[in-house]
Amino acid sequence: MNLDLGGPGPGCSSLRVRRLLAGELTGAEKERTEAHVASCARCTAVQEEIAAERETLRRDVPFPQFAAAVAEKLAHRPQRSFAGRWAPLAAAAGLALIAGTLLVRRPAETETVRSKGPASARLFVQDQRGVHELAPGEPVGEGARILLSLQPAGRKRAAAVLIEPGETSVIYEGPALNGTLPQAFEWTGSGVATLLVVLSDTKVDARSIRSAADAPPGADVLQIQLLR
Amino acid sequence: MNVRGLRVVVGGRAGELAASGTPAAAGLLAELYEKHAAAVYGRCRYLLKDDAEAKDALQDVFVKVLRALSEFRAAASPTTWILRIATHHCLNLLRARRALWRDQLRMVQGGRRQETESPDRRELVRLLLALASEEAQEIAVLYFVDELTQAEIAQETGRSLPTVRKRLREFLVCAREALGIELEGGDL
Repeated sequence: MNLDLGGPGPGCSSLRVRRLLAGELTGAEKERTEAHVASCARCTAVQEEIAAERETLRRDVPFPQFAAAVAEKLAHRPQRSFAGRWAPLAAAAGLALIAGTLLVRRPAETETVRSKGPASARLFVQDQRGVHELAPGEPVGEGARILLSLQPAGRKRAAAVLIEPGETSVIYEGPALNGTLPQAFEWTGSGVATLLVVLSDTKVDARSIRSAADAPPGADVLQIQLLR
Repeated sequence: MNVRGLRVVVGGRAGELAASGTPAAAGLLAELYEKHAAAVYGRCRYLLKDDAEAKDALQDVFVKVLRALSEFRAAASPTTWILRIATHHCLNLLRARRALWRDQLRMVQGGRRQETESPDRRELVRLLLALASEEAQEIAVLYFVDELTQAEIAQETGRSLPTVRKRLREFLVCAREALGIELEGGDL
């Protein structure tokens, strides 16, 4: 029995089709490839595969998530000069690219509630100066957009609620995404508000959370104060 | 959503924020995403067979691209360059768990003996890569998946044509022994 593992065919190459669609072919090579692809079932199948890949990418990794995650990885790796060089790119794409200090509110510094385990969260703000991570004690400017980025450390579910005097607002409830959440929010209140982030292995009912004590047993709870 | 004290910006992030940033810089990342991310993600999903790992690998590949932007821009074919980076990255991940990779191949070998349904051609190539040397793995992907000719592979990798041919034959020998059947491989 023979089994065909494939390989290049006469004039056929999936990579050449990719290069054609990426605009990398010119002149006679471009014309030759276009003519071939137009009458080749195998290359047509490759085109369909490429179209399906694009749909899968947009479904699984939309650009905002992609860009935020790339920026975070750039920021976390020890190439500060490079990360600094890329700061304008990150700001332009609405990313959380900061090459310097870790600005996660650490429990020992800012929390009255424990945060056990390695799960963490970071807050980024975008204002007229660009995008930056919210520093401890830094007031949130009027009109600033706020982005919450999670590092769930294996936790499966997450919830984030904004607690203000007399009011609690659900910001997020769902899977514990690793990276920046898909929605930014704008805080229009004043004074002090607390952003409560719950990361849990079990379902979290965000609407029932009014304080850290409402989190499921064993959950990681992070509190971040917003000041204005 | 609008509630007192809070306004959620639907679809906020990159879309809105990009408008106020450096257009050229925002455009670069968006262009890289538009042109290459789908192919890279496809390659990562194909090799890793795990969507979460593939997403992570996709990000890692683009971090590498941004750190080697001048090299990327100087490449004769940016598509080929970035796919090679993706392949190399994923093969490294697979090699780190080679035992699992080989277990998957053994399941296919068992399935073939029981004459159950075989995996498709490309999946078979992925599993057979577990048996090959590091050099042969990359060359086999360029040949069987990207469908470059041996001459194109030699040019792309900087290896001689006889070396490329030798590595591909090594790959086929390993594959033939593993599956106990004759294999065909294009113009080999």
